[in-house]
Amino acid sequence: MDEEPLGLWTIAVIGAIAVVGFIAAWETAVRIGIIDAFFLPAPSMIIKRAYAMAATGEKILLHDVWKSATRVLIGFMLSAAVGVPLGLLMGMSKYVRAALNPIVSIIRPLPALSWIPLSMLWLGIGEQQKFAIVFMGCFASVLVYTVAATLRVDVILQRAARNLGASRLQVIRHVTLPVALPNILSGLKVVLAIAWTCVISAEMVGANSGLGFRIWTGKEWSDTGQVLVGMISISLTVLILDILFRGVEWLLLPWQREGTGT
Amino acid sequence: MSEALIQAKELTKTFGRGKKAVTAVEDFNLLVKAREVVTLVGPSGCGKSTVLNMVAGFMSSTSGQILLKGEPVTSVEPQCGMIFQSYALFPWMTVQENVEFGPRVNRLPKAERLDRARRYIEMVGLNGFEDAYPNQLSGGMRQRVALCRALANEPEVLLCDEPFAALDAMTRQVMQEELLRIVDRSGQTVLFITHSIDEALILSDRIIVMSARPGRVKEMIENHLPRPRHVDMQLGEDFLRMKRGIWKMVEEEVVASMK
Repeated sequence: MDEEPLGLWTIAVIGAIAVVGFIAAWETAVRIGIIDAFFLPAPSMIIKRAYAMAATGEKILLHDVWKSATRVLIGFMLSAAVGVPLGLLMGMSKYVRAALNPIVSIIRPLPALSWIPLSMLWLGIGEQQKFAIVFMGCFASVLVYTVAATLRVDVILQRAARNLGASRLQVIRHVTLPVALPNILSGLKVVLAIAWTCVISAEMVGANSGLGFRIWTGKEWSDTGQVLVGMISISLTVLILDILFRGVEWLLLPWQREGTGT
Repeated sequence: MSEALIQAKELTKTFGRGKKAVTAVEDFNLLVKAREVVTLVGPSGCGKSTVLNMVAGFMSSTSGQILLKGEPVTSVEPQCGMIFQSYALFPWMTVQENVEFGPRVNRLPKAERLDRARRYIEMVGLNGFEDAYPNQLSGGMRQRVALCRALANEPEVLLCDEPFAALDAMTRQVMQEELLRIVDRSGQTVLFITHSIDEALILSDRIIVMSARPGRVKEMIENHLPRPRHVDMQLGEDFLRMKRGIWKMVEEEVVASMK
């Protein structure tokens, strides 16, 4: 009988042992020379490099994290601020949907990277260009997720609200929005990851700060330590943002916190 | 005619166009008086729900009309409170918020809203569950909330679309008794759809048997079984005789609907 799910502590302990084991194996492999430290530095060397980048040497790591994260967040919020209302409108009106679907279908397949040349010609390599890249990379996805979430709202609930005397506007505010919200939020979570891809790519091509830029210059100088510190910083920042995002969800969706299912 | 609360006149509803057109309801006539409980009984797909959806104003008729207190129903009609088989509760609202929804969107003052919620929550026996979310409740309790939410809006008529069909047999009987008790006490007018002849006989003053598609009125039966009624009367001689009679009518239509 192995059907019982693992307890939280058990999961944490197994996870910790695996991580420690992995790092120890990596460290040993570099130390005894199985892996060439030039191509893949040992964890201890990466930590030393990170410490130098953050505090003793260049002191640019936190600045880079901050730069990339603000670019991601501002671009992401812009795309959500435009995409969510427009997506709701498309989800609720078959006419708006019919009008905008062809346009969305043309924009959507374009990878964010393909916007880099145009955006650089228009906006240079400043902050605005980064926001624009994130916006163009995220906007269509936000739209598609929001439309899908809105269309999934059960007609019966809207009928019930109308039946209780709610006007069309009240139905949108009191029923359509709260029902679509959880799905919109989980869509936005996926889009947030897309936003990171956009920013890192944009920073690699043309920027003078940010994690993407730092990784790219690390490669130029054959500083694998710097490349890895940049990559790990992306992981950790995304992880932290994800936790924050879950907090937002927890705050916005109180009715999903507990329950007996069905 | 002044006593007619709801009147359906030569109601016809056709879905689709051309060769694919399906007539769900045809020349359907109905009259529900105030304080009356009327059930519509008929085979699956006979257009019972279509009739109810038209009365509620969710659907427009292809021809004919529905009058509520003499006025034609042209859009969603809050005076016809609906109880859905799937409860249709708002899962992100507590029981209290669900019940207050109607009064709130109709902009009743807060004090009156609270007073109504208290009264109807008490009436359906939901005290103590005010702060629960629907997904924390059993099916029977959820339907109680739906009933309560509809009543709190104080509609002219309660429309019930097989509200107890998803409940287990025992819970169902308890809910039937509950509805009877509330209706007897408040004099609420009810138009009720069901597959179950037992349910129709227990609840209603009048039973309308519908024909297989296209739905028409096949027969109208006055239900003289004495009130107050209880579930245990299902074993009585009168009850069984009526049930047999109605089943004969329904059976023909069920057989017809399967062809």
